[in-house]
Amino acid sequence: MTQSVGIVLVSHSAQLAAGLRDLLAQIGSDSVPVQVAGGTEDGRIGTSYDLILKAVSAADHGTGVVIVPDLGSSVLTARTVLEDHPRPDVLLVDAPFVEGALAAAITASTGADLSTVATAAQEARHVPKF
Amino acid sequence: MSLSSDSTAAICETSVVLPANLHARPAGKLAQAAARFNSTILIEHAGKSVNPAGILAVMGLGATAGTTVTIRAEGEDAGAAVETLAAVLHAAE
Repeated sequence: MTQSVGIVLVSHSAQLAAGLRDLLAQIGSDSVPVQVAGGTEDGRIGTSYDLILKAVSAADHGTGVVIVPDLGSSVLTARTVLEDHPRPDVLLVDAPFVEGALAAAITASTGADLSTVATAAQEARHVPKF
Repeated sequence: MSLSSDSTAAICETSVVLPANLHARPAGKLAQAAARFNSTILIEHAGKSVNPAGILAVMGLGATAGTTVTIRAEGEDAGAAVETLAAVLHAAE
């Protein structure tokens, strides 16, 4: 089986990103490369260009990477990384953090391609929680 | 699509009384299982009908232990799809 699409969780908080990664692994996507870029390099709340760049590289197993940002400067910093390192197979998605990451991870675990995984994350916005 | 593949298309349906709530873990397993089939599959609960490939939509059904969920599939592997997804639901804990 080919390696699944990778996922990068970008958050202002290292714990938030790590907690979400734990949740994704529990729900059945331990075969999916999920990397986190949470907080600043010195452990504060914020976002880090270098952590995002490293996470994208680590999540990339040849079939593309979807970046799920929490909000605000996570989006802006990820955008800057992608502007400096433009690649057609790394996509920043506009999706709710928890639901989008979960839909992306489950979809990736089925061997779906990059655009299907990105779409699953984006469509998460339109699914009512209950 | 050729005539011969049309003639092998089937519609299958089964109902499962849930042994546990249809929460995140079983919904994830259901989505992963559904992706292995070509048939069009729907999961129905309390008048709502969703594609089981979408974990969020399945959780959104709000199906709880003891209630009934119906799996319906249409396509050449409909029988196997219904059987596999029913097994996933029966195994939910």
